[in-house]
Amino acid sequence: MNPAIERYANIPGFILLYALFFVAIGFFIYRTYQLYRFLRLGGEENRFDHFAKRSVLFFLWVFGEWCVLRSVSKRDRAGISHFVMFWTFILFFIYYAYFFAWGAWHHTNSINVGVLDYFALCSLGVVLWALVRRYVVRPVRLEKNFEPAIILVLIFFLMGTHIAGEALKNLLRETGGSMIALAFARGFNGLSQSTLRASYYTVWWVHFLILFGFLVYIPYSKHLHIIAALFNVFFRSLRPKGALIPIDIETANRLGIEKIEEFSWKQLLDLYACAECGRCQANCPASLSAKPLSPQKLIKNLKTHLIERGMIKRQPAPQLIGDRISEEEVWNCLTCYACQQVCPVCNEHTDKIMELRRNLVLVKNKVPETAERALRMLMMRGDPWVGTQYLRTDWTNDLRVNKLSEERSIDILYWVGCTGALDERNIKVTRTIAQLMKQADINFGILGAEESCCGDPARRMGQELLFQTQIQRNIDTLKRYKVKKIVASCPHGYNTLKNEYPKFGGEFEVLHHTEFLDELIKRGKLKPIKSLDKKVTYHDPCYLGRYNDIYEAPRAILSSIPLLKFKELKRSGKESFCCGGGGGHMWLEENIGKRINVMRTEDVMEAEVDIVVTACPFCLQMFEDGIKKKHQQGSIEVMDISELLQKAI
Amino acid sequence: MNIIVCVKQIPNPEIPPDKFRIDPEAKRVIPPEGIPPVISPYDERAVELAIRLKEKNGGKITVLTVGDPSSMSVVKHALSMGADDGVILSDQAFEGSDSFGIAYILTKTIQKIGSFDLILCGRQAADWDEGLVGSIIAESLTLPLVSLVKAVDIIEKGLKVTRVTLEAYQVFAVSTPAVLTVSQEVGRPRLPSGWGIIAAARKQVPVWNAKDISADLSQIGGVAARRKMIKLFIPERERKCEIIGGETAAEMATQLANRLTEVGAI
Repeated sequence: MNPAIERYANIPGFILLYALFFVAIGFFIYRTYQLYRFLRLGGEENRFDHFAKRSVLFFLWVFGEWCVLRSVSKRDRAGISHFVMFWTFILFFIYYAYFFAWGAWHHTNSINVGVLDYFALCSLGVVLWALVRRYVVRPVRLEKNFEPAIILVLIFFLMGTHIAGEALKNLLRETGGSMIALAFARGFNGLSQSTLRASYYTVWWVHFLILFGFLVYIPYSKHLHIIAALFNVFFRSLRPKGALIPIDIETANRLGIEKIEEFSWKQLLDLYACAECGRCQANCPASLSAKPLSPQKLIKNLKTHLIERGMIKRQPAPQLIGDRISEEEVWNCLTCYACQQVCPVCNEHTDKIMELRRNLVLVKNKVPETAERALRMLMMRGDPWVGTQYLRTDWTNDLRVNKLSEERSIDILYWVGCTGALDERNIKVTRTIAQLMKQADINFGILGAEESCCGDPARRMGQELLFQTQIQRNIDTLKRYKVKKIVASCPHGYNTLKNEYPKFGGEFEVLHHTEFLDELIKRGKLKPIKSLDKKVTYHDPCYLGRYNDIYEAPRAILSSIPLLKFKELKRSGKESFCCGGGGGHMWLEENIGKRINVMRTEDVMEAEVDIVVTACPFCLQMFEDGIKKKHQQGSIEVMDISELLQKAI
Repeated sequence: MNIIVCVKQIPNPEIPPDKFRIDPEAKRVIPPEGIPPVISPYDERAVELAIRLKEKNGGKITVLTVGDPSSMSVVKHALSMGADDGVILSDQAFEGSDSFGIAYILTKTIQKIGSFDLILCGRQAADWDEGLVGSIIAESLTLPLVSLVKAVDIIEKGLKVTRVTLEAYQVFAVSTPAVLTVSQEVGRPRLPSGWGIIAAARKQVPVWNAKDISADLSQIGGVAARRKMIKLFIPERERKCEIIGGETAAEMATQLANRLTEVGAI
């Protein structure tokens, strides 16, 4: 009664089993090696640093399943299913490893491990739920295609045959077996010994055939992620989220990326790691507003392209930009980081898009007209605001703010930023912040006319060289005045000063005004005592929240205001939805699909509040426009957090 | 085809109009702090046209500018767009030159460079809008001149040049070498590419003085200027708003017409 010892056409079962096993392994290794070779087409990148940190994150992310459990919410419980399937897979993997290394060789038909049965049963349930979820109640993030069904059906039968096998074995031997096996055994009661035996043999073989099929199928499918994602999580990016990899102008032999093999091996590994879960596109403002960009499709198309480049079967070879990725896709990204934030396998979508954008701008000179105007302005005048009627110091007017060129003994430099100084609406915010700092007796100063664009718009629009020129110019100025501590009111400037400048030799202590104002309240320097009986919500700017993890400070400021009723937006914190102004989009036209700032304004309307507060000059402008477009001028007001705070002081 | 492009550094035309300041004593424009000077937009288009010609026909583009050493930025801008070489002409003796003086400096430089097929200038500099230098260079070098150029094609014996007029355009056949002054109709100048910026950063731009171009000092500077500016001032504009009353639209219109006749507007 052992299918492994039984002879089939005079060949012992275990010989047949191993033969099939090695064939399957052969296919698996062939394909995996092929994919590895394609990966090696990519360039070098050092991701072997911080071994300990990587290991800890790896265990938490993979074995702790934090990759998916962290996004379990009222709306999405798929992470729980993944948890069950993952651990079933791990246990079965150990079991099969033992079986093929030892068990089958010693003619054991299977090893009794009761716990496997429990996991197998749970997996059955989970697979059924996954099928219903994918093909019946389908949430938006999932695509309706055939591939997931193959996998789910394979898993279903793999687990099914395991349980059936255990049940039949129990009946044939009348000993042992888990509760599950015993329970299922009842289903076969009354069958003759020979039928039971034939059934058991069939089930046993079917089980292993499915397993081998699975093994061959994995590297050809999106289930490649079960291997690639392990490495991808380990080699994840550990640099600050808001910092892009700079182009080394001295040594560069290419600018941005034109061909797939110019990506680093890690960027290519991302393509294999994608499980096509769709979380990226379900959070992508471009995808959700019906623009021609889906981070998932981008990854998938890049993967297709990598494989076709590796095979070199197609002649003439398709081009990366044009044939596989369109220019619109490259330009529609707001660099809001929502896709990367939510990606369970630590893919780096934004970095890829930025490299493609750099190439379009720096090599091919393909820049949308409005962006070109902003870049030209930045190049010539040091700010991107075409047509502004203001000079950098106009906002100070009657305020008597120290300039570093006149008064050097200051403690803090207030980095006003281009928008804060040159845009009419944001000048009010700048004045408010300066007034608050004065009220708190802060000895601060500004650079005034010597301040130049931080470089962020140039960098996110792909003009890396202009960005580096700006950085160098500003670092020279900041060092000349021996600046140590900076408060910035624009999250983009804040992010750039904090995360990008150090790589160019500019190390400063940088605070965002939300952090600074929060600190001033906590130190008792600012006392919000006037009550404000208003319903208020807060919009997390991407470059403050997702990029720099500042979620608490603005909320702490709001909670310090007496009587204020705070309500979170539907999409808030890490899941905040871009205002539509990130990634250079303040200077790009938005002609396709729904307007993103209107969508975000609708979120605010849904929250039924009087005031939406934010902490970014772009968000502020975007909301001003969105509120007008939705005709909400009378009912919703948008303010910078400093403006609201000032009302309470 | 070797092309020489003359460019000028001017105060940024994007300075908000009400920030425009002058020094009436020195008769100079005072650019606001923090807004650096730029290449004159017409000159930038001349560079663009030169690059387009080079892309089609090959050759070399040399950019000349007269100014202080800070003019490096406009030459570098032209280089980053795709020009090959640049020369800055800077000397105390050049200061105060009028258009004749500047044209003389440029002519001497062009003669020193020697080989050229085409000289391009902007139709006028966007600061004083005089539009003289190109014509004077053509005169001094006794070369054909076409002003207000919008397009150039190379034909068998020279150039086919399209010149903009108010409501039409003229087409000329011109032998080379020639001087053309370029109008904005040439189209948008390109933004420097990444490689362009890198190449420009690595290029050395020589600064030549009066001696280098063997200039006759009696032809340049304030003393040689053939005319003198007497006064520089910003005109004062007065605006008055008057509201015309009336019960009905017809009544208001009548009153408005009366008032307009009164002040002599109609």
